[in-house]
Amino acid sequence: MRRMSVFPSGTSLGNLGLTANVLQQEDENNTSELVSELANLSDRARIQAIRSLPMSYDERRRIRSRAISVKTSKNIFNIDCSQQVSRSFRRFGASVASARQWLVVWHGTLKEIGGRFGTSVLSYFLFLKWLLKFNVFSLIINFCFITIPQIVHAPNISNVTGFRGLELLTGVGYFNQTVLFYGGYNGEVIVSKPPYNMQLAYFFTIAAYLVLCGVSLIYSMSRSFQKNFVLESGPVSGGAWRLLCSWDFSVVNEKAIQNNKNNLGTQLKESLSERLQMKHTMSMSERMKYLSLHVLAWLLSLGLAVGSCAGIYFLGIDQLTSSLNHNPNDLTAEASTLLLPVVVSLINLIVPLLYSLISIMERYSNPRAKIYISITRNVVLKMSILGILCYYWLNSVPENMVCWESFVGQSVYRLLIIDFIFCLFGTFFGEFLRNVIGTTCAPSLGVPEFDIARNVLDLIYAQTLAWIGIYFSPLLPVMQVIKLLIIFYMKKVSLSMNCQPPKHTGRAAQMQTVFIALLFFPSFVGALSMVAYTVWSLKPSKYCGPFQGLQTPFHTILSWTVYIQNLPGTYWVWWIFENVLRNELFYYLVTLIILVITYFLWQITQGRKELIRTLRQQIVNEGKDKAFLLNQLQNTQKQRRQMASFRYQEFDQTLHFNPNWINTLPLDM
Amino acid sequence: MGGTASNLPKELLSEYQELTFLTKQEINEAHKKFCQLQARENGPNERVSMQNILTLPELKSNPFRERVCHVFSTSDRKDGSLSFEDFLDLLSAFSDSATLEIKSHYAFRIFDFDDDGTLDSEDLKKLVNCLTGETDDARLTLEEMRQLIGNILEESDIDKDGTVNLSEFQHVISRSPDFVSSFKIVL
Repeated sequence: MRRMSVFPSGTSLGNLGLTANVLQQEDENNTSELVSELANLSDRARIQAIRSLPMSYDERRRIRSRAISVKTSKNIFNIDCSQQVSRSFRRFGASVASARQWLVVWHGTLKEIGGRFGTSVLSYFLFLKWLLKFNVFSLIINFCFITIPQIVHAPNISNVTGFRGLELLTGVGYFNQTVLFYGGYNGEVIVSKPPYNMQLAYFFTIAAYLVLCGVSLIYSMSRSFQKNFVLESGPVSGGAWRLLCSWDFSVVNEKAIQNNKNNLGTQLKESLSERLQMKHTMSMSERMKYLSLHVLAWLLSLGLAVGSCAGIYFLGIDQLTSSLNHNPNDLTAEASTLLLPVVVSLINLIVPLLYSLISIMERYSNPRAKIYISITRNVVLKMSILGILCYYWLNSVPENMVCWESFVGQSVYRLLIIDFIFCLFGTFFGEFLRNVIGTTCAPSLGVPEFDIARNVLDLIYAQTLAWIGIYFSPLLPVMQVIKLLIIFYMKKVSLSMNCQPPKHTGRAAQMQTVFIALLFFPSFVGALSMVAYTVWSLKPSKYCGPFQGLQTPFHTILSWTVYIQNLPGTYWVWWIFENVLRNELFYYLVTLIILVITYFLWQITQGRKELIRTLRQQIVNEGKDKAFLLNQLQNTQKQRRQMASFRYQEFDQTLHFNPNWINTLPLDM
Repeated sequence: MGGTASNLPKELLSEYQELTFLTKQEINEAHKKFCQLQARENGPNERVSMQNILTLPELKSNPFRERVCHVFSTSDRKDGSLSFEDFLDLLSAFSDSATLEIKSHYAFRIFDFDDDGTLDSEDLKKLVNCLTGETDDARLTLEEMRQLIGNILEESDIDKDGTVNLSEFQHVISRSPDFVSSFKIVL
C-alpha cells in the first residue's frame, strides 16, 4: 500500500521551482493512484485500508466514495448475491464484536486501575483474568462430562461422617467420598441409549482439557514472544526512545501523571549515567570480588531451596506414617494434616524475602539482570517445592494408602486453601501494615510499591497446583475460581488504598512474555508430566475411583482400542493407534524433520540480519549523497544568483531558501 | 445537532463505524460526551473549542493535550477546535484496534512541536521537558539534555542528517513493543 506522504500544509518548497499548481497536480495523481488501488481490493480489505489512512475524516470519506464509484463503474455486472452475503457477514461480525464488549467483565474496574497505575500493573490483573478463563472452562467441561453423569447415576456413598466445619480446610471427612475427589467416581459403563463409559469420559475430558490448555499457552507465548522479543534486537538497546515512547497515555489521575513524570526523569538520568559507567572498566580484582559474591549468593539461594525441600519431604513422610495410625474421627489428628501446607506456605513467604536480602549484597551490570535473576531464584524455589511434593505423592503415598488418589487430591486442596489464606495475610501485612508504617512511623520507607513479579509468581504457583490437582479432584477448579475472584477484588482494594505504581516502568511487555513463558514451561509442562506419569505408569488404587482394577489408567484406552478393532468399519482407527502413535520410529522421524526445518529457518534469519545491516549502511550512504547534491545545488544557485544580480541589478531577487527542505521529503520517495 | 444527546441515525452510525476503528458502542458514547461538551459552548456551534475539549477527564492532565487538539483539528482558524468527526478521529487513533502505522503517524505529528515534518533537537528537547517532572531532582540539566538528545539521535537517525523524520520514527517505534499498549485513550 503506497503510503501517503506527510506534508503539513505549511511547508515551503517555494524556490525549488515547484509552483502550487505542480504540487496540486502531484497530489491529485497520488489520490487517483490510491483510489484505483483501493478499488481493486476486496470489500473487507478496502475498509481496513481506508481506516488505516492517516488523513482526516472528511478526506477518508471522500476517498471512500470515489473508490466505491470507481468499483461500481468497473463491475456493472456485479454478482449481487455474493456481495450481499459478504456484507451481511461483515455486519454480523461487527455486531458480534459489539456484543462481546458487553460480555467483557470488569471493563470499568480495569480501566480505572490502568488509569491510576499504568499498564504494567494492569497486566497483572489481565493475567489474573486470563487464568480465570482457564479455570472456568475446565470447571464447565469437568462438570458436564464427568460430574453430572456420576451424580445422576447416584453411586452409593459409604461411611459418610457428619459435616463438621473442618472439612472446608482439610477436605477429608464429609468430602471424602463425594464427587469432589477422585474416589467419588466409579468407572462403570452407564447403561443408556449410547452407553456412556465413565472411564473413557474421565480420561478423555482431562486429556482434552490439558491439551487445549497447552495449545492455547503455546499460541499466546509465541505471539507474545514475536511481538516483544524478536523486534527488540538491534541498535535500539540503550532505550532513551523506548522510555519516551512508552509514556502511558491511558493514565488519567493527575497525581499519577506527576509521579510518572518524576519517575521518567529519574529513569532517564539513570540510563544516562549507566551509559557513562559502561565505559568505565573494572579492574581484575574487583571483578573477581563481584564474581565470588555472585557465586556465594547463588550457593546460598540453592542451599535454602534444597534445605526447604528436604524439610518438606521428611515432614511429609512423618505425616504419612502418623496419618495411617489415627482414628478417622479424631479432630486433632485431622487438623495436624494442615501442618504440611502451613509449612509450605511459610517457606513460600519467607524464603523470597531472604532472597531479596541476599541480592542486596550483589552488584549487577544492569537492573534488568537483577529482576531476571530474582525471578529465576524464586521460580527455582517454588518449582522444586512442587517437584518434591509430586515425588512424595507419586512414590511414597501409593504404596501406603488405600485410596491414594483421593489423598493426593485432598493434599492439593489443603495446599490451595492455606495458600489462599496466606495470600490474604500477606496482603494485609505486606501492603496495609507496610503502608501504615511507611507513612506514619518511618516516613523514609515511603508507600510500598506494587510488586508485580512476586504477585504474578504467586498466581503461577497456585495455577500449577490447580493443574496438578485436576486429575485427582475434578471439581478443584471451583475453588480456584472462587479464590481468583476474591483475590481480584482484594488486590484492587489494597492497590487503591495502599500502594503506589512501580517506579521502573519500562519493559512491561517483555515481562509479560516472560510470565507467560513461565506459566508454560515449568508450570504447565511440570503438571502435565506429573499427570502423564500417573496415567501411564502408576497402578490405580484397587477399591476406589474410576480406574479400579486396571493395571494402569492407560489400559482403559488399550482395551477400548481392542473393542474398536472388532467393530466393522473402524479398523483404520486401531491401525493408526497401534502402528503410528505407539510406534517410536514415528516420533524420531517427526523430531528429525522439525530439527531440519529449524536449522533452515535459523539460516534464513541470519541472512536477513546481514541484509538489514547492509541496508542501513546504504541509507547512510544515500544520506551523504543527498547532502552532497544539496551542496551542489546551493552552489549552482549561488552562482546563478550572482550572474543574475550582475545582469539585472534593479531586480531584487531574494530567495528564501530552507536548507532543510530535503528532510521534508519522505524517505521512500 | 442541539444540546440534547440524541441518538445518531443508523446510516451515519454505520458510516462512522466503517471509517474509524471504533465500535458502535464507543461511537455512541463519544457522541454523548461530545453533546455534553457542546452544551457548554457559548453559541450553537458545530465545533467545540479547545478549552472545552480539555475539560474531558481523559485529556485534562495529559502533558500533550494541546498538541493533540491541534493535530486532530481540521479547523481553518488553527485554534485546535474539534468537530465531531475530528473527535472520532482522535478516539479512533487512540483506540485499541488502531494499527501501529496510524498510531506512530499521529504520535510523530504530536511530538513535532513546530510542525515542520521532522523532529529536530528543539522538538526533542521540548518532548523531554514535557515528559519529565518539574521537581528539581527530576528535571534534566543542560549537559544531561545534550547527552540525551545525542543518544536519541544516535539511536534513531539512520541517514545521519541530525533530525528524525517519519520513517525513522516509525522504525524506532516498531521496535518498542510497549508503544502500542501505552498509546491508548479510552472513554
